[in-house]
Amino acid sequence: MTGAMTGILDGIRVLELGSQISAPFCGKLLADYGAAVIKVEPPDVGEEARRMGPFVGDDPHTDKSIPFLYLNTNKRGVTLDFGTRSGMKVLSGLIKQADILIQNFSPSTSEDLGLDFPSLKKINPQLIVTSITPFGQTGPYRNLAATDIVTYALSGLMYHSGDSDREPLRNALNQSFYVAGVNGAVATTAALFQRLATGTGQHVDVSVMECLASHLVQAVPYYNYMGATKGRRPVRGAGFEELMPAKDGYVIPSVQGSQPWSTVADLIGLEELQDPRFATGSGRIEHGQELNELLIKGLAQWDRKALFQASGERRLVFGMAQDAGDLYQCPHLRGRGFFAEVTHPVAGTANYPGMGTQLSGMSYQVGRPAPLLGQHNTEIFCDELGYSRQDLVQLRASGII
Amino acid sequence: MSNLPLTGIRVVDLSRVFAMPYCGAYLADLGAEVIKIDTHHAAFVDTTRTLNGPYPDNEPGEDYYNRAGTFQTLNRGKHSLTLDLRSDAALTVLKRLIGVSDVVLENFTPRVMRRFGLDYPNLKSHRPDLIMVSNTGYGQSGPWSDFGAMATALEPTHGTGAFMGYLEPNADGRLVPGSVPNKIANSYTDFLASWTAQLAVLASLFHRARTGQGMWIDLAMYQVGVSFVGEGLLDYAYNGRRTRRLGNRHEFMSPHGCYPCQGTDQWVVIAVRDDVEWRAFCDAIQQPALAVDSRFADPVTRHQHQDELDAIIGNWTSDKSSYDVTDLLQKRGVPAGPVLNAKQMLADPHLRTRGYFEPVEHTAESGLGHREYVGRGWKLSDAEIHIRKSAPLLGQDNHYVLSEVLGMGESEIEELQAASAIGQTLAGAATPASVPLDRQAELGWIVEYDPEYQRFLAEVENPKAS
Repeated sequence: MTGAMTGILDGIRVLELGSQISAPFCGKLLADYGAAVIKVEPPDVGEEARRMGPFVGDDPHTDKSIPFLYLNTNKRGVTLDFGTRSGMKVLSGLIKQADILIQNFSPSTSEDLGLDFPSLKKINPQLIVTSITPFGQTGPYRNLAATDIVTYALSGLMYHSGDSDREPLRNALNQSFYVAGVNGAVATTAALFQRLATGTGQHVDVSVMECLASHLVQAVPYYNYMGATKGRRPVRGAGFEELMPAKDGYVIPSVQGSQPWSTVADLIGLEELQDPRFATGSGRIEHGQELNELLIKGLAQWDRKALFQASGERRLVFGMAQDAGDLYQCPHLRGRGFFAEVTHPVAGTANYPGMGTQLSGMSYQVGRPAPLLGQHNTEIFCDELGYSRQDLVQLRASGII
Repeated sequence: MSNLPLTGIRVVDLSRVFAMPYCGAYLADLGAEVIKIDTHHAAFVDTTRTLNGPYPDNEPGEDYYNRAGTFQTLNRGKHSLTLDLRSDAALTVLKRLIGVSDVVLENFTPRVMRRFGLDYPNLKSHRPDLIMVSNTGYGQSGPWSDFGAMATALEPTHGTGAFMGYLEPNADGRLVPGSVPNKIANSYTDFLASWTAQLAVLASLFHRARTGQGMWIDLAMYQVGVSFVGEGLLDYAYNGRRTRRLGNRHEFMSPHGCYPCQGTDQWVVIAVRDDVEWRAFCDAIQQPALAVDSRFADPVTRHQHQDELDAIIGNWTSDKSSYDVTDLLQKRGVPAGPVLNAKQMLADPHLRTRGYFEPVEHTAESGLGHREYVGRGWKLSDAEIHIRKSAPLLGQDNHYVLSEVLGMGESEIEELQAASAIGQTLAGAATPASVPLDRQAELGWIVEYDPEYQRFLAEVENPKAS
């Protein structure tokens, strides 16, 4: 088969009945590790991510949504209206062959569609069903309406994002759903490993709100160990580990790591910073105002990338704010082979960002660009499920595929 | 116990700070035996034992290194073996232990691991099917490979700041996309690395079960972070767009924002996805005139008049509680939610119903008593995943690991103890100074503190008793 990959989840069959980001990102992570993922979309319109911008060339075309293109590489795609009896019958055929089913319908929609865990288990007892929803399958919020900013707010993470003298600030690029997607992949893989021993599938209930809340390893003990409420970080320029202006953008000076203050002061290169009053943590707190003014003065002499490079060479851990162009051209990521060239028949060719991890003896490959709507209908329904071409014509005529 | 996915799997956790220790904690929750390689020398100890706190009632106490709340969260369910790796005898013990283990987690720089002979090629000779995660800032290869990193400085480096930031007024006073990067904060990148490592370990265990092969996982936190904003890089590749800082607004939903509510630092978020929700919103806030106002008639004009819209909504929310606004809007199907702080999280009815926070009864000697910890974002229907026990005291399991896991004799263990290759008390350390909470509030480290927090927690954990 074209695009066949060898990976550590080779041979594992995944059905993805998801839309937008959380379930597709979960499916992408499994596909990147070699699982065979079939994406099932509603006929004619496709899943919602196809209508999410930005678009290639800012042209709102079904096959040009950038989130969709990124989240659906290495998958095959079919269309199916499983709200109909015939569609459900076709889907059952796919379910019988699958190891994993990923979905992100609300709990009530799952039940209405007959895609709740008890119903799916009857079709395939070995199936692992992963449901990713804003609030999980149980509890008073289970059917509430949510978007990224709503789960971000309820998770407790948003309260800590942004500046302390302003309103809490939303995350970058729908991070709630990415965090839920990776957590979904973790729990699904745990269930897959457990199935080696038990031989049976199970239900994985993923809550976006709770995935993010699990980041609060400081704020929660701050309250339940000493009654303190942690908030957003002090305003810009208020000290270390904060973004501060450099000549051509922003940098993050840091005193963490094993190097003494003199190395930090020497790097920034402002003589006044060598003052012994700044040499200890408590001294830097006590003389914070003065130190910040000196930092602003010193950092303004530096270009971001030069400072970052010099910091790394001195075993300091400064950071810098990079934009999409910096990252796309990053010599380090290029040097590690992070990108893969992908040619999509409608969107064209680009270098796609790859996986977070690199496994020994394996390199990242994109065997397939994101599927066109219904691209693999014939391959999957006829070649793999045994429907005839004539069946396909009938299913198409009745709007089922 | 027997129905846990990782029963029978042994993990050696050499890692420090947040990302990999949290990965080890999750593997322990899943049933693995996780042995944390601790040290009793202050210069090398995991700094979450000594620097991060928080301590009960802000009092570190004599054995503060067993009592920190963040350390407890990140290391629950583990065993602790203290080894002074500068001693050959201790290093030999470690290699023997890895020889009978399935997974190693570490986050030293490549240089340190090679110096100790603990790099993957070496360890593979002790355990041919070993699965090992090497978590570094920038990975085992590439021009920045030797650079150290901290998540707080990594986050903007891997690009989140290009896609988040407050709006700024233009010359006409209209709000436009911002030029200044901001941060998710809370060491965001550490958690992305932790989740990614958990997935890689579990998938590698599955692979090993099928093929007998081990795996070396090169996890670069920088690269992980970039993969979570990959959509933004692709927008650059196709369209040349470098940044998208929309404040709390959204590309196509409006209104979409974070609005002030009654109380100190209280906020609610609202997201209106379409015209149906817009009409429901106008109805909910009892301002029918808005629904017919031509400035807000359709998604395109609403998007153009968000400054006006946000002022109207902020005015409406400001004398209401964030939960009341949420109730009013959600009843009509409009996405909304309170911006919760940790105290509100601990009391939230949904999280309480789902048993999200997990209790640990600590030993009397720790003085920690009963505490709850953040759970995890998922539940398995056929496995009771929960925190198995508290984080270990320093060196608590030295005897268990040396004697029962490695089968060492008492005299051998005594020799290690006598040579100070193992130990249970932290040597060369000074008790951390605790900054009083009122001073912390003054410095902006905390918003406020609640001296009655124990009573508040007792009430939310057990409402019937109050």
